Amino acid sequence: MNSNKFTLISILLVIGAFILFLLSSFMDQYFIGQYTIANKIIMFIGLILLIASWGIYFMGLKQVKPQMTENVITVIACKNCNYREERPFMEGDYVFKELGSCKKCSGTSYIHAIYLVSVKK
Amino acid sequence: MIINQLFPSGNDISSILMNLVWLTLFFSIILFFNQRIQIWAYQRNAEKATMKLQLLAEKSKEEALKNIQNFAPENIDVKSQITSFLDFFIIEPVDKDPFGVLNRLEHILDNRRDRIKLFISQIAPKAGKVEAANIEDVMEAAIALNFIFKIVRHYLLLGKKTKSLMIFIQLDMQLPLIMKIAEAYYKALKTFSSGKPIGDGLGPLVASRLMFGLPKQTIAEDIVCSEVNIENRKVYVIKAEGPGGVVGKPGEAVKRLVESLEGKVARIFMIDAASKLEGETTGEVVEGVGAAIGDPGPEKYKIEEVATKYKIPLDAIVCKMDIEEALTTMKKEIAEAADLIVNKIKKAIIERTKEGDIIIVAGIGNTIGIAQ
Repeated sequence: MNSNKFTLISILLVIGAFILFLLSSFMDQYFIGQYTIANKIIMFIGLILLIASWGIYFMGLKQVKPQMTENVITVIACKNCNYREERPFMEGDYVFKELGSCKKCSGTSYIHAIYLVSVKK
Repeated sequence: MIINQLFPSGNDISSILMNLVWLTLFFSIILFFNQRIQIWAYQRNAEKATMKLQLLAEKSKEEALKNIQNFAPENIDVKSQITSFLDFFIIEPVDKDPFGVLNRLEHILDNRRDRIKLFISQIAPKAGKVEAANIEDVMEAAIALNFIFKIVRHYLLLGKKTKSLMIFIQLDMQLPLIMKIAEAYYKALKTFSSGKPIGDGLGPLVASRLMFGLPKQTIAEDIVCSEVNIENRKVYVIKAEGPGGVVGKPGEAVKRLVESLEGKVARIFMIDAASKLEGETTGEVVEGVGAAIGDPGPEKYKIEEVATKYKIPLDAIVCKMDIEEALTTMKKEIAEAADLIVNKIKKAIIERTKEGDIIIVAGIGNTIGIAQ
């Protein structure tokens, strides 16, 4: 959930709490002496909604970063032909390291590039 | 009910008085405890950040220890030696009299590098040239993280001691950038220990692409040079000697090369990584003029001085990236930008120089994971 959704939920909760407070004051005004316990319960629920809205709002401020997986790729090429191969990085790899003879021709293969590719989980 | 007594809603005098009591209490809290509440909030943020920095500093120490232990002799206490070396510092030269300040700074930076190399040779004698250079980078990152943690902790404790809101506000405002730098160093440390190329290695990568397969010779500390022919122009390509994590002294190399050629150089091209502004794209290649090198000063000064002395135009080609991208494993966009820069240089050489000219191309940056 992004921070905008958290903000929207907290605004809705504040509106809900405000409606409950209005209802409570309406009942207090027009039903004097009646529904006193119900009136207090409504106010209490309104208060809880208000506190919950703060909590949700501050939770939204803590931005949740998308999880990324990192793949380091080693690109192998040949000095003679256009052979190209990609494989995961291995300990000891470095750019322009010679790797022996090419799989396609008799030329020398070497590491052409090493780079990072980030993929969203 | 007790709530009705505490928060009365009637119009009688006791209700009004009770409400007045609450109002007075509320304003008293705002008036007398306002700053304390603010200090508490800022302090909480600073404490959380300090705890995270401490964790990063400790983890970086463990990582350095893990790296060094593979090459250390069995009879020495590696942990205690690393712990004490993490506080290693330099005192910058006095600049009240700026005359010769860069020479003095270079001397101190040389001393620092020599001391770190000596420490690594003593603590990890089994490490080869490449491994020793990578351990040097790991130690540099661990020293930086330890320094950041200690500075932030200092201001936190100073703020607590003096109860100064200003100290906490200043610390809190700078924390997002400080944390970004600290996290970049921590990620860099992991990359250095595995020997992968980093974003800052763009300059050496471009130089390597140009000099690949040609004979090389060392012309300055940790700097190699190759002579390349591009469209009948004699191009001297220089870079730090990889694949170990070194930057070398490219300024000294350019100076020596130009002096040995008696200043008969048509153009100097410099390739480096440049910090991007927010909103700019990683891997964007931009051209300009000047010495594209991000050293503390001495190397840049040497290039500017020799270029000015012989009136040699300085062209800069940079690739945009942020600090984290510069210090961590090279991204695909940056690796692809290297090929683009190679083509740009060839095109620029044809357009801006004539046949028979002598040109210098300097690939600036840390060459970890990039040979030649």
